[in-house]
Amino acid sequence: MKPAPFEMHLPTSVSEVVALLDEHGDLAKPIAGGQSLVPMMSLRLASFEHLIDLNGVSELNQVSVNGDSLRIGAMVRQSTAEHDPQIVKSAPLVAKAIPHIGHFQIRNRGTVGGSIAHADPSSELPAVALALDATIEAVGPNGSREIAAKDFFVSTWETSLIDGEILTGVRFPIWSGKCGFVVEEVARRHGDFALVGVAAAVQVDGSKVAKAAIALFGVGGTPVRASEAEQALIAGGTSADLDAVGNLAAMNLAPSDDVHASGEYRKAVAATIVARAIAKALKEAQS
Amino acid sequence: MSGQAAGRYVGQSIKRKEDPRLLTGQGRYVDDVQLPNMAHVAFVRSNIARGKITNLDISEALQVPGVIAIYTGDDLNPYIKEYWHTMGGPRPALDDPSGAHPPASVLAPGDVRFVGDPIAMVIAENRYVAEDAAEMVIVDIDVEEPIIGLDMAVAHPEMKVHHELNKNFSGIMPYMEVPPVDEMMASAPHVVTRRFKQARATNVPMEPRGIIVKHDRGANEITIWSATQNAHEVRSFCARLIGFPAQRIRAIAGDVGGGFGQKMMVSRDEAAMMIAGYLLGDRPIKWIEDRRESLIAANQAREEWVDVTMAVTPEGDIMGCRVNFLEDVGAYPPGAGGGAGMSAGMFPGPYKMPVVIPQGTSYFTNTCGKAPYRGPWMMETVAREQMMDHVAAEIGIDPIEFRRRNIIHQSDLPYTTCTTLVYDVVTPEETLDQAMEMLDLAKFRAEQEKARAEGRLLGLGVGVYIEPSAIAFGILSSDQANVRMDENGKVLVALSSGSHGHSIETTMPQVIAEHLGCDIDDIIIMQGDTASAPIGPGTGGSRTAVIVGGACQTAAGKLKAKILEIAAHTLEANVDDLEVNDSVVSVKGTPAKQLPFAQIAAMAYMMPEMLPEGMEMGLEVSARYKPAGSFTYSNATHVCTVEVDPKTGMVKILRYIVSEDCGQMINPMVVEGQIAGGVVQGIGGVLFEHMIYDKDGNPLATTFLDYLVPTAPEIPDIEYGHIQTMSNSLGGYKGMGEGGAIVSPPTVANAIHDAVKHLGVHPTDFPLGPSQIRDLLVHAGAAV
Ligand SMILES: Cc1cc2nc3c(=O)[nH]c(=O)nc-3n(C[C@H](O)[C@H](O)[C@H](O)COP(=O)(O)OP(=O)(O)OC[C@H]3O[C@@H](n4cnc5c(N)ncnc54)[C@H](O)[C@@H]3O)c2cc1C
Repeated sequence: MKPAPFEMHLPTSVSEVVALLDEHGDLAKPIAGGQSLVPMMSLRLASFEHLIDLNGVSELNQVSVNGDSLRIGAMVRQSTAEHDPQIVKSAPLVAKAIPHIGHFQIRNRGTVGGSIAHADPSSELPAVALALDATIEAVGPNGSREIAAKDFFVSTWETSLIDGEILTGVRFPIWSGKCGFVVEEVARRHGDFALVGVAAAVQVDGSKVAKAAIALFGVGGTPVRASEAEQALIAGGTSADLDAVGNLAAMNLAPSDDVHASGEYRKAVAATIVARAIAKALKEAQS
Repeated sequence: MSGQAAGRYVGQSIKRKEDPRLLTGQGRYVDDVQLPNMAHVAFVRSNIARGKITNLDISEALQVPGVIAIYTGDDLNPYIKEYWHTMGGPRPALDDPSGAHPPASVLAPGDVRFVGDPIAMVIAENRYVAEDAAEMVIVDIDVEEPIIGLDMAVAHPEMKVHHELNKNFSGIMPYMEVPPVDEMMASAPHVVTRRFKQARATNVPMEPRGIIVKHDRGANEITIWSATQNAHEVRSFCARLIGFPAQRIRAIAGDVGGGFGQKMMVSRDEAAMMIAGYLLGDRPIKWIEDRRESLIAANQAREEWVDVTMAVTPEGDIMGCRVNFLEDVGAYPPGAGGGAGMSAGMFPGPYKMPVVIPQGTSYFTNTCGKAPYRGPWMMETVAREQMMDHVAAEIGIDPIEFRRRNIIHQSDLPYTTCTTLVYDVVTPEETLDQAMEMLDLAKFRAEQEKARAEGRLLGLGVGVYIEPSAIAFGILSSDQANVRMDENGKVLVALSSGSHGHSIETTMPQVIAEHLGCDIDDIIIMQGDTASAPIGPGTGGSRTAVIVGGACQTAAGKLKAKILEIAAHTLEANVDDLEVNDSVVSVKGTPAKQLPFAQIAAMAYMMPEMLPEGMEMGLEVSARYKPAGSFTYSNATHVCTVEVDPKTGMVKILRYIVSEDCGQMINPMVVEGQIAGGVVQGIGGVLFEHMIYDKDGNPLATTFLDYLVPTAPEIPDIEYGHIQTMSNSLGGYKGMGEGGAIVSPPTVANAIHDAVKHLGVHPTDFPLGPSQIRDLLVHAGAAV
């Protein structure tokens, strides 16, 4: 479990990072918290001759609120995001998702941007980004651009970032009013990747559900938005049949088997935990 | 029922003497040993379960700067002189009808037989370079159909893992026709048959295997540092393996980070290191197994099926059983690998069974070999204790009642089982009573009923067992303590034990301090170095408290006797009138007449004129202890309560209760630590751990991402109750190192069964992960 030889580059600005990636092309890879990349390199499942370290790029560490959106810089540590007052206040779903990521030692190193860029289908933050219609900010050889979360996740470990491009930050819309935010998942052990999970947000207005956002993870190559279930919840209001909402969310899923659970299990349990998550979110919004 | 009063040391929860060192990272494991000029090894392993090696090309890898040598099977296997372990004895003939050892090789002999099979070893300046070069070794394999899993091994007796053998099993207890038993079974009021399956697991020591081999050609000496439970075996195995004079080999085990049986015997990879280190000479070589290697190639265990047929009367009296033990020993178990013989003997456990007819087969498969894992025979308890619940459900009686009807009472002792074991001092019924009291059965049943009305599933599992501790036959028969008091009155003790995390540096000094009368901090323990340790089998089979403890107690007594003789001579008193307190000998009733140990020690070494006439100088004694029986039996009852989520199949353990009897406890805290560790491994075996292979023989749990060892949040606080009845071994001790792992799996399984049986679900197979539990519920129509 020793990685193949590589050269480590220590840039201090985004433009330097982009230049280095451009220079070394396929042989280079950015490294953030290293919590996914380093195990893959140590197991020699991946090898890169050049690692471009993002840890010295301080401009990627910022958290800021701008009008109705919250921006989290790519290199903000997961453990920071869990407790940052601005994030807890403006994007509670992000803060609530993070305790489900591995263990605290991992969250101390792992980054928000790394988790989203890595795009593991069982990860919490990509589902949160999808549920909340987050905007991904990227900078590359052709300058900077914005990508809607729904267009970002392509398949397992694959995003719409192009070669040489890095994720620099993520913008989450700020929800206001009476809201509830819940991340619910089934994992074999505390800290394991979820077998199946859901990130859900609701905004209620009396007995009406004004807004609903539901995204599942661990159910396919990418996180999956449950739009029909959201519509059913909005239509049904706070007394909607949650089992039916759950079933709608799971209806079109086709998760695959692995050593921990069958696809059929994931699909059935997805319906259960969507119903449970919405129930909790409604309760939170109403309290 | 309580034992003798706790002594000054024995019976006290003294804090572990080894902890300050181990917990602050100051332990000295194999990887901490740094020798000048040392080279490092990486193995090239097969990623194919079975096939002929058609091309093995090391030329490119040899060019990698920093590579020192690359050895293949052709280079090393011819140096094998003899390949067997002292414990198992010389290899049976290849055509022995009763069993076989896998053919001897240290690296793949032209063909590969499991994924992880070592094909070549790269020796380089450091491990990084060794791994770089290992990637460049070209191996082409002509893939053949592997035998994977017991299903296939049983269905295809004509297929063989080892073409050198005339059979595909390492051991067999054939079916026996016993007409009276068969007639009884045919006419019994109830006959229940079940097949229970355990899931393949692996030992997962915190410190994987590791070994350094240094061959000093000039001195004609080999020194081996090894993460082993048994340094003497490392030495004698190496001597036999390469035909090197045993007296010129020294094996050293420093701190060892767990083994649980994995490190009892020398593995092929380690044997390869011995030959390579011998051949290379002068440059010591080190191999530290990484976690991936440890998971796929170190050794595995528990892939077992047990078929039980039990006949019972309508009242619930067991009339007899037929039991068939099927085990998968993989491709290269050390020795024969199987545990079925011992399982057969222990099957009756704590119950009066008039007859048990055993049968068993240990099949070779193209998977990692089976080696001992904490309670290697434990499939008997796993099957029996689940069977008790299945039979109770079938005949409609309460599983605890069913146990009580058949359990061995005090009035039955000594009790000879139908398998000819003699239980002398055991308390299965008393531990069951104590565990039930700790639980409050009525209260739980009420909660269970209330929960069920709300659609929640609570369950209660019970497991009772007898542990054959301190296994004492063959090389395992005895242990030795050499106790030396130096000229300052300090105590140096050399033991034949092999610590891999058992608190031996605390418990054995407790025994010695108790029986010698010295301060515990005046004692230092030396073990695990063949240059200083008396001959012994190391640590395994829950032997240390009983056998090493007996040796310590005897040696301390002998030394004390000599000290008293010297003191009596000087104080002009009778030995019988002397007493010892805190390293001081004094005359009873005349405390002014006293002699500290330090003064006596000075006399013993430096003042011959002060010694009684004819007494040998010095203060050094040794004692070897063999318990009276082949086993010293301990016992326990475990109780577990769980909640099963009917929708997700997730199991939450609510309470875990242990009532056990290990005789005189030397250190209750250490006893509870041993129980806890075993229980966690057992919980893992049911709910989490599964070393699963696909049909092509690829292991699918190759990192800790997929091989799920329970972690703290999954484990409830374990509640302990103790009953202490004195064994007939010296000191009244009984071993208990394995029991926690033996009976916890069926206890947890029974709790799950109890939660779901009213839905028509009767689980028999491990693992019981959420997906499996939900499948069972769906299958029974109890979930959608
Ligand atoms: C034991 C364990 C348990 C875990 N459990 C979970 C879990 O339950 N849920 C979960 O979501 N994760 C889990 N993880 C993964 C962890 O959260 C990682 O931190 C995360 O997936 C990646 O973040 P990182 O900052 O460590 O990225 P790195 O490992 O450094 O990088 C991961 C990948 O993303 C790329 N990358 C990183 N940052 C950028 C960027 N700014 N722009 C472009 N590409 C980038 C890298 O090139 C690399 O390909 C676990 C990890 C471990 C070791």
